[in-house]
This record gives sequence, C-alpha cells and structure tokens, in this order.
Amino acid sequence: MVLVPLLGSPAKEAVLLYVLTHGEAYPSEVAAALRRALVVVQHQLSRLEDGGVVVSRLRGKVRLYQLNPRYPFRKELERLLWRALEFYPADERERLYTPRLRPRRAGKPVRYVEGR
Amino acid sequence: MSRAASLRALAARISSKLGEHGIRTVLCGGSCVAIYAAGKYVTRDFDFVLSSSYPDHDVAAALSEVGYRPDPSVSGAFTNPTEEMVVDIRPAPPSLGDEPIGEPAVLAAGRYKLVLLSPTDCVKDRLTHFFYYGDRQGREQAILVCLARRVNMREVGRWSRAEGQGSNFAEFRRELNRRRRAARE
Repeated sequence: MVLVPLLGSPAKEAVLLYVLTHGEAYPSEVAAALRRALVVVQHQLSRLEDGGVVVSRLRGKVRLYQLNPRYPFRKELERLLWRALEFYPADERERLYTPRLRPRRAGKPVRYVEGR
Repeated sequence: MSRAASLRALAARISSKLGEHGIRTVLCGGSCVAIYAAGKYVTRDFDFVLSSSYPDHDVAAALSEVGYRPDPSVSGAFTNPTEEMVVDIRPAPPSLGDEPIGEPAVLAAGRYKLVLLSPTDCVKDRLTHFFYYGDRQGREQAILVCLARRVNMREVGRWSRAEGQGSNFAEFRRELNRRRRAARE
C-alpha cells in the first residue's frame, strides 16, 4: 500500500487498483481476490460511487463497477494509480492486479497460495 | 402554468433555498433539457451538482425548508410527498468530461433564481452519455436542446475532439442536420 496517506484507507487503495486493472468488477469478486470482508469492499465502492469516482450498472443480478468515464479527474487518477502500482512487489502486482483473461471452467476452485 | 414553467419554478425555489444557505449548485442533467426544450422532454428528477463540498447536514437542512427529506434508500436523493420531482444532489465539481463547466445560465422564476447549465453545456452534458455509454437517449436530448435553443456548435465540436470523440460528434451533427431538414420540410 503506497497511497494510504493520500487516500486514507488501505481498502480504498486496493479496491481502486482492482477496478482500474480489471476494467469492471463486482463486489464479491473484489472481496475474494483481495481477501477482504465483502462489507468493507461494498462500503468503499459505495463511497466512491457517491463521490462520482466510480459508476455501477446491473448485469443480471450482479452490480458491476468501473471508474467513472465522466469523472473530471479520471485521467489524473488513473495515472496516479498506475504509477503507484509500479511500486508494488511484482508478485503482489501479478497476483492481485493482473486480470486473468483465459477462460476458467465453471466450478473449478480458485486456489490462493500463501506467501506468494 | 405549463409543466415546463412549473418545473422551472420549483427548480428555482430549490436552487434559491440552497443558495440562501450558502450552498452553491448548478442544475444539470435531464431537467435542463426539460426546461430548454419545453414540452419535448419529461423528467422526474433534478440533478443539482454541488460547486464545492458542503456538509451533508447543511444540504439536508436547506432542502427540508422546501419540504424535501433524504430518501434513505438512495444516497444523495431527496423526496417531497407533495412533489413528484426527486432532488438528486451530486458531488462537486460540476464538470463535462475532463473540463469544468462554462459560465452557468441564470433563469428568473418570480422572486427566485435558477442557476443551471447553459444550453451549450447542457448539450455537452447530454453528449457525455452518448460518448461514454453509447446512450442514444443522451444524443436525442442533445438534439432537442439544439433544436430549441441557440447552441455554440463550434465549442461543442472543440470539446468533443478534446474528449477524443470527434467521430461520435460527427455522427451527432449528421443526425442533427437531418432533423433540422425534416423540421423545415
């Protein structure tokens, strides 16, 4: 976490980075990936949406969040977040903030390896 | 009083009440379309964008004086049991994509004043929905304003290109020109 003095919250930094790097994300996905309580992630996303930083839309029963393309400081925020990400350990960057693009069979368990 | 006039009167009363409490706002969104293109578009909410950050309780206190109470189910929304219009308070700053808004328009309604986006900025505001979400209703609303009011199209074009939306702006212009021709025939 490198932006906590600015953002005031490690959870907010993690959630913003996840949404930035994945383009779109839903709360339980973010919570599982970041291993944070769902309520914490939902709270951060809700606060960010109230502030106009992210927007959400329903797809089926899932609420998807993305950075708000109409947010006036979006470009500057994106630049700051990408810059911050450069200072993360490579393994953490790879594990948390690199979206998996290849398909994954339904029901196949996700395994997190401690210490990676 | 026409629907557009009563809409304008209510918006002005709310805008003035917020102003009396030192809360500066600009009316944005579909309600500006309803005011500028009177009778051509119907909306059910007022989007007031704060010019700066104000404490939530100050905003709530001001709105309570015009009968509006916070809707507990929607953040930033206020309802009034005697009015069908919902007030939506949006966070600062008022912006259009990457840029701040230009000089807002001020409309008088009796002893009240309504601060709202200029027609040119209203068109930009509606076009952001078309540009960023592919929303055809946003384009349609922008066209309605252009057909009803004088809009600085050169400025809308400059802003669109600065947003990287030159081709979408060209599509908007083609449709607007087609509608103008159809209106003349």
